[in-house]
Amino acid sequence: MWTRIRELRKELPARWLLDLGHTALSLLLVAGITGLIGIALHFYKIDHVTILYLIPVLVAALHWGLVPAVVAAIAGVAAPAFFFYPPIYDLRVHNPDQVIDLVLFIIVAVVTSQLGVIARQAKIRAQAENLRDALIGSVSHELRTPLASIVGSVSILAQSPTIKQDEHLSSLVQVTREEADRLNSEIQNLLDATRISSEGIRPRLEWVDPEDIINGMLARKRWLLSERPITQDIEDDLPLVYVDSAMLETALSQLMGNALKYSPLRSPIVISASRTDDTIQIKVIDQGEGLAFGESEKIFERFYRSPQHAGAISGSGLGLWIARALIQACGGRVRASSLGQGHGTTLQIDLPVTAQPASDEHIDE
Amino acid sequence: MNDTTPVVLLIDDDLQIRRFLRAGFNLEHFKVLEEETGEAGLRSATLRSVDLIIVDLNLPDMDGAEIVKRIRAWSIVPIIVLSVRASDEDKVRLLEYGADDYVVKPFSMVELLARARAALRRHARTAQSESVVNLGRLSVDLANRAVFVDTARIPLSPKEYRLVQVLAQHAGNVVTHNHLVKEIWGVRGMQNAHYLRILVRRLRRKIEQNPKQPRILVSELGVGYRLTTGD
Repeated sequence: MWTRIRELRKELPARWLLDLGHTALSLLLVAGITGLIGIALHFYKIDHVTILYLIPVLVAALHWGLVPAVVAAIAGVAAPAFFFYPPIYDLRVHNPDQVIDLVLFIIVAVVTSQLGVIARQAKIRAQAENLRDALIGSVSHELRTPLASIVGSVSILAQSPTIKQDEHLSSLVQVTREEADRLNSEIQNLLDATRISSEGIRPRLEWVDPEDIINGMLARKRWLLSERPITQDIEDDLPLVYVDSAMLETALSQLMGNALKYSPLRSPIVISASRTDDTIQIKVIDQGEGLAFGESEKIFERFYRSPQHAGAISGSGLGLWIARALIQACGGRVRASSLGQGHGTTLQIDLPVTAQPASDEHIDE
Repeated sequence: MNDTTPVVLLIDDDLQIRRFLRAGFNLEHFKVLEEETGEAGLRSATLRSVDLIIVDLNLPDMDGAEIVKRIRAWSIVPIIVLSVRASDEDKVRLLEYGADDYVVKPFSMVELLARARAALRRHARTAQSESVVNLGRLSVDLANRAVFVDTARIPLSPKEYRLVQVLAQHAGNVVTHNHLVKEIWGVRGMQNAHYLRILVRRLRRKIEQNPKQPRILVSELGVGYRLTTGD
């Protein structure tokens, strides 16, 4: 990992020195073309050779930038005027065509070098992004192994009779456990965010009971739910959904995490699942601060933090953005609503109900 | 393993992980062997008498799945795989190669021990051809094809019973969707995957106190199902 950072920091020569070198190269190209044309003219009669000088201009503009390109353009008009068009060996302008050529060449040099700059920047950006993603990926992995030792060791301590008997010690053990869990879910967020931005997400769709998704999420969050009254309001006989169950569970965990974070400790949270004609709606309803006007879209943006909380409650601003990306990959939608500040927030997932394959009677056949 | 101390073989390249695993297993009166590499782990598994193997999925010299496959070629010793960020496909693949269960790092020792004990019990049951599986409120009498919840016999359809039976044979450990579909219907297929979910729902109505928050027949999303004691 560190070698890759070092590679990135590899020192580059000064800019002007590079320009000078590239300008010399582009003049060399012009000279080369001139030489070739000179030879060709011995064998064939060619009337208009200026157009050939666009080659060095384009090469210089695409690879080396504006200065070498403009120099190549001027040289590319001057060289044929001097060597090939009568009066030969005379640089003075005798023909208005040459002025037009010069203007045209310079335009080509400027425009092409701009395109070249854009292309180079895109390439650099892509490299930087790849590097960043690789870094995040390996950092997350490197962080997880020591975290596993911490969580594992603490779980053994928690079982020890000496610690169980001591209220203070067991509360310390619990703090360690909870904070390690928090750290773990932040690492997971980094991994998920990297996965979403670098690889794109490839859902593995399968039939799954929406109740299993909700229960899976509750099991994952059980450490944080001990002091929360959670009400589950799940409609009977919900149809199965065809989604990536791990992704959807992660997304729902994010919504739940959000509700836990932005509502008062011990305030109740409702999880409901119901069916309308062609969608299944899973809602997480909290009794927190609610959303400010216009925030219901913004909270799903990457790195968005609500100004009313940004100082008081820590967070990366990735959670809901991750949730949205994962839900969309499963063919669903997610939205937030609130009756206004002080009236809580409802986060809602809409999943399409796809045609269910055949009916239940076949199960026992 | 009943009259002697059970021996667990840990194959993990991370020293700190091995340290806490050793402490955790020692406290539970296991004898612990440690190996750092897949090669050495395989050698130990062959040469020593081992009751349980805990293997890391990402070893420097060998894929954990490869180790599972190679051990399974000649032994039915219980194997539990440890992994960091394994995808669902990875988990399913490991289980299909013959691993008894997996835990994802970071995990608590309680969780690992529960999986380990479940795998050891299954091994012992097979060896002694025991036919009753007790799991908290649920008990399954495999010889008489009878299922009880709190001593009340539960009437089940043939497919429902087959589902309980396969899960009970692996009680406490996860069983993949594919394996269940194959055992119940004999063929794989998307329709059967759908039926399995419906069948599970029907079974839960019969054996769970609250079928919407199952405690006995729990789902491992993307992987399979597990029968637990309901704690």
